Amino acid sequence: MSERVVVVGAGMVGHRFVDELVRGDREERFAITLVGEEEYEPYNRILLSEVLAGRADLRALTLPLPAAERVDFRRGVSAVGIDRDAGEVLLGDGSRTPYERLVLATGARAFVPPLDGLESEPRHVHVLRTLDDCRNVAARAINAKHAVVLGGGLLGLEAACGLRRRGVPVTVIDLDSHLMATQLDGGPARVLAGRLRALGVDVLTGVSVAEAISAYDELVAVRLIDGRVLAADLMLVSCGVRANTALAAGAGLTVDRGIVVDDALTTADSRIHAIGDCAQPPSGMTGLLAPGWAQASQLAATLLGREPLEPTEAAERPEPITLKAAGVDLVTMGVRPSRAAADDRVLTVSDPDAGRHVDLVLREGALVGVTVLGFPEVSPALTLAYDRQTPVPLDPLSLLVTGGGGAVEESPSPMRMPGTTTVCRCNGVTKKQIVSAWEDGARNVDAVAANTRATTGCGGCREVVCGLVDWLNASDPAESVSTAVTERNTPVETTT
Amino acid sequence: MTDTHCPYCALQCAMTLTPSVEEGVSVAPRQFPTNRGGLCQKGWTSAAVLRAPDRITTPLVRSAQGVLEEATWEEALAYVAARVRSLQAEHGPDSIGVFGGGGLTNEKAYQLGKFTRTVLRTKHIDYNGRFCMSSAAAAGNRAFGIDRGMPFPVSDVDATGAVLLLGSNVADTMPPFVQHLAGVRERGGLIVVDPRRSATAALTDEAGLHLQPLPGTDQVLLLGLLHLVVAQGLADEEYLAARVHGWDEVIRSAALWWPGRVATTTGVPEASLRRAVEVLAAAAPSRGGRGAMILTGRGAEQHTGGTDTVTAAINLALALGLPGRAASGYGCLTGQGNGQGGREHGQKADQLPGYRLIEDPAARAHVAGVWGVSPESLPGKGVPAVELLGKLGGEVKALFVHGANVLVSAPDATAVRRRLESLDLLVVCDFVPSETARLADVVLPVTQWAEEEGTMTSLEGRILRRRRAIDPPGQARSELAILRDLAAALGSDVHFDTEPALVFDELARASAGGVADYSGLSHALLDATERPLHWPAPAGSSGTPRLFATRFAHADGKARMVPVSPGAPADDLRAEAPVYLVTGRVLAQYQSGAQTRRVEALNDVAPAPYVELHPHLARRHAIEDGDDVAVTSARGTAVARARITGTIRPDTVFMPFHWPGDGMANAVTNDATDPVSGMPEFKVCAVSVARADLLEVTA
Ligand SMILES: Cc1cc2nc3c(=O)[nH]c(=O)nc-3n(C[C@H](O)[C@H](O)[C@H](O)COP(=O)(O)OP(=O)(O)OC[C@H]3O[C@@H](n4cnc5c(N)ncnc54)[C@H](O)[C@@H]3O)c2cc1C
Ligand code: SF4
Repeated sequence: MSERVVVVGAGMVGHRFVDELVRGDREERFAITLVGEEEYEPYNRILLSEVLAGRADLRALTLPLPAAERVDFRRGVSAVGIDRDAGEVLLGDGSRTPYERLVLATGARAFVPPLDGLESEPRHVHVLRTLDDCRNVAARAINAKHAVVLGGGLLGLEAACGLRRRGVPVTVIDLDSHLMATQLDGGPARVLAGRLRALGVDVLTGVSVAEAISAYDELVAVRLIDGRVLAADLMLVSCGVRANTALAAGAGLTVDRGIVVDDALTTADSRIHAIGDCAQPPSGMTGLLAPGWAQASQLAATLLGREPLEPTEAAERPEPITLKAAGVDLVTMGVRPSRAAADDRVLTVSDPDAGRHVDLVLREGALVGVTVLGFPEVSPALTLAYDRQTPVPLDPLSLLVTGGGGAVEESPSPMRMPGTTTVCRCNGVTKKQIVSAWEDGARNVDAVAANTRATTGCGGCREVVCGLVDWLNASDPAESVSTAVTERNTPVETTT
Repeated sequence: MTDTHCPYCALQCAMTLTPSVEEGVSVAPRQFPTNRGGLCQKGWTSAAVLRAPDRITTPLVRSAQGVLEEATWEEALAYVAARVRSLQAEHGPDSIGVFGGGGLTNEKAYQLGKFTRTVLRTKHIDYNGRFCMSSAAAAGNRAFGIDRGMPFPVSDVDATGAVLLLGSNVADTMPPFVQHLAGVRERGGLIVVDPRRSATAALTDEAGLHLQPLPGTDQVLLLGLLHLVVAQGLADEEYLAARVHGWDEVIRSAALWWPGRVATTTGVPEASLRRAVEVLAAAAPSRGGRGAMILTGRGAEQHTGGTDTVTAAINLALALGLPGRAASGYGCLTGQGNGQGGREHGQKADQLPGYRLIEDPAARAHVAGVWGVSPESLPGKGVPAVELLGKLGGEVKALFVHGANVLVSAPDATAVRRRLESLDLLVVCDFVPSETARLADVVLPVTQWAEEEGTMTSLEGRILRRRRAIDPPGQARSELAILRDLAAALGSDVHFDTEPALVFDELARASAGGVADYSGLSHALLDATERPLHWPAPAGSSGTPRLFATRFAHADGKARMVPVSPGAPADDLRAEAPVYLVTGRVLAQYQSGAQTRRVEALNDVAPAPYVELHPHLARRHAIEDGDDVAVTSARGTAVARARITGTIRPDTVFMPFHWPGDGMANAVTNDATDPVSGMPEFKVCAVSVARADLLEVTA
């Protein structure tokens, strides 16, 4: 009989886990049930900020549906309890579904701090975690005159840029002394703030919202902790997330900030696992997608009886974090300068006026930390160099040169071109051969072509050959023969 | 004066031959829609191979002392027949293998397949086109129900508004083709995807776009472009609803490839991805553009995920509503001269003439009827080239090689040599002593292009006449005669014509009703008309220059979109092998170089293998231009001169694969293959680089 696997949560990590399990399970050993509380088909959550910015159509977010013949997908149904003795999950529609293995992928929800004025739940205060949230914020943005984004982390900034792109004036407020304090040092964060201001996003740091002020149940302003009051008819709270642990806690499993699991992603109950944003493995919680995906793969491999891949160097390397917003190109990964070890080599290039900043941290010649802001041409290459650990140039700063330093060679003028220069690549014809053809009486391009085959391949060198012939013809007039000939021959001779 | 076409690549440039004393013939280019009077240096100098000093002009048989010695045809064929008989008696029919080539005429390819199935009756046949076209072919069949490299004439490229060219260096491999890109370059619509700023990528310098991804990430790049098409609502929904199955699943397959992730996976900046989509969408006919094309070459195809990469390219083309529209569509740029025809007439392990499947009972019955044998007597399907080579010395005891130099052109060449050496019998038909021929037990001298009649099917699916200008030297014979004589020597009563026109007529009958239907064609018709004749050309039709205008070739007329998900290269980067090797061709050499390395003028330009590497990488390893560099993979090492250039990615080195010996690129490449097409992963493997002298010191 097949083993019944129930997965709770059809978010990005639950989805990935099911996908990998189905792919690997050729003998159909598992009967899989996927329980997802959201009404929608599984979607790419991290693109919600792109949708909010009007840069992506919702259609582009929908993930592949799990194969219907392999997975019983209960969409729009939540799991409300776990009966560990019976080995059953209790569902919101009153039914029970039995399991031999239970995988919790319940994710996280936005954390809303207990601000004064929120008890009455005024309208126009939002979070951004789900498709519904995104729809609500976008709908409000149509009429909003000033939006406040509380929290200057990755998500808050993406949302702020998105709202700005929709034409809403925005102020980002963060209690830390600088933006994205979890990832960035002060230097790049200040350049980032400058960049955002240039885009029309106001930034207030070192301060927070004390109270939401509303009238007739609608938000009208916020009062800051320093007493200032800002008019606001839209507030997006982006103060981090809290893992969804209630289900696990209710079943008596150990819960701390997340559902506590061991290195094998197993809870104290050997039949129950947790992965993704809801899980708290010994390596810690990140709230990022890539580690969740790695956990999904690891757990799928374990259930399939495969050796889970050795945690590679790559997996232990902290994930690159990219700010997805039009007009701001920021990627940061690994060790930042303020956390560098004494022996690390730290290179910094800061150009605040142009909104650019780069930090590179090298340890024993390898790239272990990168922050790039405002260099969209090189940020993918730097990310790759970090992520794939390709050889670092002796001068690491040359990583900042676009195209890896390959300057486009100017084609020299016919006169100064050395005689050995290949003019016609297709037929390997050099300038020298063209000059001899001319000397043999070939006075126009067609004659040169007949003599040397130049121009008879792709035809791309026709202009250069024309130029050469014109130059040769021009240098020919009988009266100036002597000078013309020397001029003509000099470059040829010096190079042969 | 004889009108014919170039012996080398699939562009099949038109040329006129005049007999001459020194070189046999003199070559002049001829006006023709594909080459427009152009030839590359390979074509111009092609006559030199006719009189190559080491041309083989008599049969050679390896003596008891192990030397290849001259023999008469009777002796050589009798020897081969006796060995084949005894091997088959002991080990069964499948102990003989046949390895064909994409340079053989349609007539020879057809006859070779027929000989294999009716005389040798072995299932073990495949050909070097597997190294070339198989991924695009598999993807084309899957999507469109037909595999014709370009489903439109090359001249359609002139008119289009945008071309996305992936993994093809046409400026070096088929220079006259570049003429057709003039319009699109002027319009700023040329987008070239290549890890190197190749001569072709450099065509985008003034206007246009060069995307320079990490090797092995083309599929991710394409999914990223598709994602942007969906995200920005640029898909041609009306077309997709009317003409395509599978769009919904394909949309979903791109959901996880958002621009930021694609940029950091491929190394291509997000702005370039967005720009590429803008250019393609603006040129799409559904948005009022002049047309847009997506063309792929080996760079995108020669991967373990090659078929899926081509599928991703086709998906993108379909999403934009391109295939079947004016000056639009997806096309694959075939490499070898008859790479197209070579795969249609029975050299492929699973196929019978007319692009019929050998496992299809109706196909077997039809073809067996033409051949005058019983359908049951035909073998079943064999295995693709790399797997076939893997069986040498094991299940396969003897191998016939026609028009291929596997020792240089197959991946993991060192292993290939070992396997060839372990054979009981190796018979090579060639006109020069190629590296493979030198290992043979029997070498049979054959005719070259200017010495024979036949047909070739070019990259645009047009059937062209190859014509004889001079007589072959010495005792060289056409494969058509050799196969007939061998059939007789092996006691077969199956009929084999030797007159190419008659063989073509039989091929036409065998192909009738198949996907690649040639039944309306004959040498006489091809000689009598200037009209371009593209297959399918069933009896009574005048050929099909453009496919898909109203329907695709699947039974219901609709195209199939198939979702794909990219994987990593089989041999991926790691600490001991931190850079990628990509391989390819240079302008002045062709394939394994067996022909072009015998032409002085070409050797002057491209005398030796080299390793192209970036100054950053070079400096790190204290390598200077011209130093000998060792490139080492898990399989082997190749040593060649350094060519330092900023036009390649710093994490990638490039080697041309035309040379044997120390600098043989395929000693390093990986023989992992695509599970769908059997295509080996020539285009990416992980290597380390070092200055050769330092390597020896430490070793
Ligand atoms: C706008 C936005 C942008 C982001 N950008 C990035 C980024 O750039 N990079 C990055 O790495 N990460 C990013 N993240 C974080 C990333 O989305 C999460 O790390 C990832 O989604 C975690 O996946 P998960 O499956 O663990 O949780 P979730 O995606 O939260 O999914 C959990 C699912 O479980 C369901 N569920 C919960 N409880 C139950 C129950 N009892 N019964 C049934 N169903 C239940 C929930 O409804 C939800 O659908 C972003 C997040 C947001 C919101
Ligand atoms: S090799 Fe190709 S491009 Fe060159 S002349 Fe021959 S057919 Fe034309």
